[in-house]
Amino acid sequence: MNDKEKKYNVVIVGSGFSGAVAADILAGHDLDILLVDENIHLGGQLLRKIPPELGDHSSYRPDHVKKIGFRFVENIKNKKITILNRTCMVGIYPDNRLLLESERNEVFAVSYDVLLFATGARERFLPFRGWTLPGVYSTGLVQVMMKSSGVLPDREMLIAGSGLFLFSVGYEFLKNKGKLLGIMEQTGMMDKVKMLPLLFHQFSKFAEGAKFLSRIYLSGVPVRYRRAVVEARGKDSLEEVVVGKVDSDGKVIEGTEKIYKTGTLGVGYGFVPNVEGPQLAGCDLEFSDSKGGWIVKVNGALETSVENILAAGEITGVGGAFKSINEGKIAALTILDKFEKVGKDDHLRQLKRLTKEREHHMEFVHYFNSLYKIPGGAVKVIPDDTVICRCEDITMGAVKEGLGMGFNTPRALKTAVRVSMGNCQGRTCGPVIYDILSILGKQERESIGPFLVRPPLKPVSIGAMAKYNK
Amino acid sequence: MDDLRIGTIKRKEKVKLLVNGKEVPAYKGETILAALMAAGYKKLKRSPLKKESRGALCGMGVCFECMVTVNGIPNIRSCMTEVENNMEIGTDE
Repeated sequence: MNDKEKKYNVVIVGSGFSGAVAADILAGHDLDILLVDENIHLGGQLLRKIPPELGDHSSYRPDHVKKIGFRFVENIKNKKITILNRTCMVGIYPDNRLLLESERNEVFAVSYDVLLFATGARERFLPFRGWTLPGVYSTGLVQVMMKSSGVLPDREMLIAGSGLFLFSVGYEFLKNKGKLLGIMEQTGMMDKVKMLPLLFHQFSKFAEGAKFLSRIYLSGVPVRYRRAVVEARGKDSLEEVVVGKVDSDGKVIEGTEKIYKTGTLGVGYGFVPNVEGPQLAGCDLEFSDSKGGWIVKVNGALETSVENILAAGEITGVGGAFKSINEGKIAALTILDKFEKVGKDDHLRQLKRLTKEREHHMEFVHYFNSLYKIPGGAVKVIPDDTVICRCEDITMGAVKEGLGMGFNTPRALKTAVRVSMGNCQGRTCGPVIYDILSILGKQERESIGPFLVRPPLKPVSIGAMAKYNK
Repeated sequence: MDDLRIGTIKRKEKVKLLVNGKEVPAYKGETILAALMAAGYKKLKRSPLKKESRGALCGMGVCFECMVTVNGIPNIRSCMTEVENNMEIGTDE
């Protein structure tokens, strides 16, 4: 081991809700804590606001749960914690050492007694012809531009996909005087109504959704259910979007197509947990459609299958802020217990209360993910000329050809047609390939097995690695 | 060119970017991607085989579709990098 390598009692990867909450609780217990986050600012994907150095945005009013989140983020900045933002996990060694890359592209290792993964989730995509055209953005990007940098993606835009997040982004766009041409929802309105009773479990979520919906309906923006993007067209950037009515299996009904002239389209199809770090660390994963796909397997104390590695937040089931706060607390409690910083009785009492809370959040997880369910037919209709793997320009036709030759696992398909081999390492196309392998390959998702991950988890320059090895 | 910045946010420090040699205004604290979007730049790079125009997709460091050249260094994710005064940005339109 290198002498220069810093040793920490606890290393937390990810500073979103659960990471920030855990860090805040653990601080002040005489533990050396390191919090790393790949992003410029702490807070993950949900806790975004205009940075003070950019400008004054005093009119911004975060909702209740975000207020709590921002408070945790502000707290930890002032506590005795080492914080490394713009720092990314690239690898892990079996002897409790984590390999990181700093913003200056320096690769270095740190050692830990306990590691907490709180790596959050990313957006999920459903390819259609033309989705690679500049001007087709994820709804997340549209939100990030407005909330973190105060920039509209365009004066007018169309939104398509599935789930409540479309409405959240539409609301923000309207609020900032954007012209919203419409929201095209893949699922049916009745699918949502059927699930309403479940949503009452989390009243503030319900109220938030109602606020978004009412603002959008009152503004006269067309909201259409059972609609999907058939094609995005344009010479070398987006010019028009063809939208069609779909049946319950997601197949477009011929003759229902409508053309929207726009240079910007926001698309979102739900969220995928970022399990690559835990996976590289050897943590067991499990597949659960209703928890967002492949998630990290944890026990009630949020311990993974690997000793002294914990997981919290979206990676144990995509469920938003409340669940992440709860799990941040549970993870912190488990860690305090490991270091004997909490009394046995106190520990058990707190764990019992938090576990009860967690069960309640898990009910919401199932509801939340069912809102984003992509019907099987939607994958079957992807045209052969459509790019699936954007990094390597691999089309649906090539993927199908590989599948036809018997390459029916992510690993085999990767080797055969280079799909998911590029810069993003399958983070964008991986979930789509899953759908293709399960629906076209007629396999149970659980039996397909997760994508293989390899170090470095994110591209690192050879120069940076060479310097580290010196 | 039309500026897509949201007017209700009072910005502080103006910086100057050179995008493909052309001066583009930006503000401290913005990401390169935000400054490019505000100025209407959509095409950022070319795809590896088909050489099609590509632009940003995820906005959060996952997809690598928003990579640009920054001060001569290629393959920098514009969504994960903040602007600096006199930064030279190259896009592959």
